[in-house]
Amino acid sequence: MPPTVGIPRGLLYHYYGDIWSAFFRRLGAIPAVSPETTRAVIEAGNCIDEVCLPVKAFFGHARALADKVDLLFLPRVVSVAAGHYSCPKIIGLPDIMRAAFPGGPPLIAPTVDLRTGRGSLLRAITGVGGTLGRSPLYSLYAWQRAWRECRRPYTAAVGAADLPRVALVGHPYILRDRQISMDVTGKLAAMGVDVLTADRVDPRAADQAAAALPKNIFWHYCRRLAGAALAFLGASPPPAGMIFLTSFACGPDSLVGEQLRRQAGHRGVPFLLLALDEHTAEAGLVTRLEAFTDMLPRRRP
Amino acid sequence: MIVTFPHMGTLHIVLKALLTALGVRAAPPPPVSKTTLEIGARYSPETACLPFKTTLGNFIQALGAGADTILTCGGEGPCRLGYYATVQRDILRDLGYKFAMIVIEPDIASVWQALRRLTPGGLRPVWPAFRLAGAKLRALDAIEQTACRARPRAAVTAAVDAARLSALAAVDAAATPAAAAGAAAALLRRLETLPVGDGPEPLRVGLVGEIYVMLECGVNGDLVRRLGQMGVEVHPTMLLGDYVGAHILRDRAALRRSAAVVAAAAPFLGHYVGGHGIKSVGHTAAMGQTGFDGIIHVFPFTCMPEVIAKNILPGVSEKAGIPVLSLAFDEQTGEAGTVTRLEAFVDLLRYRSRKGFLQASKNPAKNCECDQYHCWPSCPRI
Repeated sequence: MPPTVGIPRGLLYHYYGDIWSAFFRRLGAIPAVSPETTRAVIEAGNCIDEVCLPVKAFFGHARALADKVDLLFLPRVVSVAAGHYSCPKIIGLPDIMRAAFPGGPPLIAPTVDLRTGRGSLLRAITGVGGTLGRSPLYSLYAWQRAWRECRRPYTAAVGAADLPRVALVGHPYILRDRQISMDVTGKLAAMGVDVLTADRVDPRAADQAAAALPKNIFWHYCRRLAGAALAFLGASPPPAGMIFLTSFACGPDSLVGEQLRRQAGHRGVPFLLLALDEHTAEAGLVTRLEAFTDMLPRRRP
Repeated sequence: MIVTFPHMGTLHIVLKALLTALGVRAAPPPPVSKTTLEIGARYSPETACLPFKTTLGNFIQALGAGADTILTCGGEGPCRLGYYATVQRDILRDLGYKFAMIVIEPDIASVWQALRRLTPGGLRPVWPAFRLAGAKLRALDAIEQTACRARPRAAVTAAVDAARLSALAAVDAAATPAAAAGAAAALLRRLETLPVGDGPEPLRVGLVGEIYVMLECGVNGDLVRRLGQMGVEVHPTMLLGDYVGAHILRDRAALRRSAAVVAAAAPFLGHYVGGHGIKSVGHTAAMGQTGFDGIIHVFPFTCMPEVIAKNILPGVSEKAGIPVLSLAFDEQTGEAGTVTRLEAFVDLLRYRSRKGFLQASKNPAKNCECDQYHCWPSCPRI
């Protein structure tokens, strides 16, 4: 009987989840991804103090998986590029898991730290393979295949031309999670705007835009998000408005959001900051989105 | 050029000495007060952390008082501190202030550049300036340690505070390294002659957490002094000198101490998470085994590294058998609330110590590694 490996549907799952699942399948394990976030999931993760909503949801997912799987996959992603870091809470995930839920299944918690080269990724891959009884060479092969299978090349998507375009900026683990984001994307689309998200930006253009900032944003995932936002703002014409979707108590976003607000202001693009937490009421959110989208046509020349 | 810089405890005495000796006019901001916090919070992003808001308040007050150059630090993640300067510069510019900003990034080229800008007259005064600043730094640390030890034992706590303040003033006024060291030694002698109270044996409490909140009594509700009044001998795990030693000079003793703390944290937190998160965990684990009565963990609300530590500390507390009180501070934190919680915690520790929760071997001389925890009276640093 092959072991089941639990993958919580939260945080970096929204970047690398497909690759992780494919990798574990190739290693001969059964990947078990938790179902989509619900209120109950967030409540289960609420025993972690003072962290942001996506981290609470992540631990809710981990907890839901804990008694159903043989192993739990909680990588410690310190850095995925030279000079970049993940958010500290992502770095501390396995330790918080051990502290908050003692007696859970054993963790697969490889450390990935690419600040000084790719060695750490290779060690992580062979280490995970080793845990599941595979040779280093086979593990690397499995990773390579999983990577190829799941890599999606960038294709420029075209939106409807006659609708006002609104850039929606936020981490994928917020935007793609319909419970956490309260489906802001869908709500905006229903209000008759063309929603621009980061996947509509060429990654290279985003990277260039981020490099133009006075200081390197050293949080990798924030840098990506800020790059996409700046690419939107630099386009001609710029979008009719920008919504920055963040979660309360997100450290990096508190400073990066301030920079984006300023940049949007310089270009005359209306900017709305929405900070979500588990107490956010849907009605209040809708009111603010409506007020924002109502205001857009009035501003158009 | 009138240079200002952010406050952090008594750091302004060191920086003022350094800049003055380099031949630059130094203008420290007014001491951190409620007004500083209000001004800073008004112009900061809502969920920025407390040191961001306070130092922004410092800058606004200092620029208003005539400073035209800001000296501050940069950094490369993952803690937010590294990005402070960039955002604060934009906020201040938008507010209409005209100023230059010298940001010292943690690389030698940046330090060199900052030095060139601060020494228009040439590099001749650099060595003596750093020597004087270093001597003051050591003297200030010694004064804090002495005061921490004397407070819970003195018959009149206010006498210790008065002696401390006059010693700080003496260090501030000292023109030579010897004079600075002399001021610290004089305080030690003076405190030895103070009458001793007849209260119970002081409790020993370790202070762990984020350095800014730990050192800046303008934001932590004057924590150390208050604990001293309650009969607690506070052992701060972070002094100005440790920070400079470990992060800037990278001296061997400081690095060795850091490595020991990281090793103690390893069973609970296996990786550096930015800031001082791993040290909070490591010190708590180590102090639990060296005869301390309790740990107080302080940090700014939403501080990322310390939030991780906070979630891990309950487990450490249980394993090491030492009570831990975590306190988050922001601009909403009221003094009365902090004092009430400190009093409740100290009551708990008293109860435990009377009930003999700490086993027979509560002998600091035997248990405590002086090198690690600034233990007195035999501490060779003083």
